[in-house]
Amino acid sequence: MARFFFDSGDRDLVLQDEIGVECAGIEEVRRVGFEGLVDLTRDTLKSVDGQQLFIEVRDESGDKILRLSLSLQIKMMR
Amino acid sequence: MSANHDLVREGDHPVYSFVVLDGLIGSTKYTSEGKRQITSFFVAGDIPDLHGLHLSVMDCNFSTLTPARIGFMRHEILRNICDQHPRIANAFWRSTLIDAAIYREWVTNVGRREAYTRMAHILCELIFRLRSVGRIQDHVADIPITQAALGDALGLSTVHVNRMLQELRREGLIATTGSRMHAIDWPGLTHAGDFDATYLHQRNPAA
Repeated sequence: MARFFFDSGDRDLVLQDEIGVECAGIEEVRRVGFEGLVDLTRDTLKSVDGQQLFIEVRDESGDKILRLSLSLQIKMMR
Repeated sequence: MSANHDLVREGDHPVYSFVVLDGLIGSTKYTSEGKRQITSFFVAGDIPDLHGLHLSVMDCNFSTLTPARIGFMRHEILRNICDQHPRIANAFWRSTLIDAAIYREWVTNVGRREAYTRMAHILCELIFRLRSVGRIQDHVADIPITQAALGDALGLSTVHVNRMLQELRREGLIATTGSRMHAIDWPGLTHAGDFDATYLHQRNPAA
């Protein structure tokens, strides 16, 4: 098990994860990150075209190892 | 007793109820997929499974969420005490009614409040309850609960739990050092948590 840090945010604000989460491997990091992105979306997604939300994962030595992101497109069709 | 120890399990037919002497206990339920929901917290002085006196099959689990000290009391003896001392029977009844009020608040919290409010609310409840049983002074509590357990109590992922704690720190409402949590701005935290202690029905409100 190693500790990973899941920074999260949108274009305005990135919140650094100072606590971290213990994960057994990259598959778990990915699952944990995805669950975080789902919660982040439910919580902070606004009806703003082009808004992007992301989770960026660092390992204990500070190296970035994974990024999950989601962006919203709103297009008028007529 | 260490953390994450099941004291009573769903389906058990207990002949004892237990009283919390120290530490934090959670009532928990599992979905068929194995996801855990913590449905309530219990602190020192609480008797979480009093309903076992009247309902023979346990419909949830009770687990330690932090290291805890527990006392067990035989149902037979509790029944005799209740028969002989109606005031104690009334106190037990009142205690289970307050438990139900807490469950109602938690349904509202998990179902309808935003994650940030939800987190602030649960911290307010914990601090308020620990204060009212004299376990903490001011608004500083040592709560060695894991982020995963907080997530299970709030219906949030661990990553989002971390984010919400970070946001509360950033807003200057709490400060944390290890498992020690200080509500540095108690009125601010209660406001952020949409917290009104009425549902806890304390006779001598401490906060």
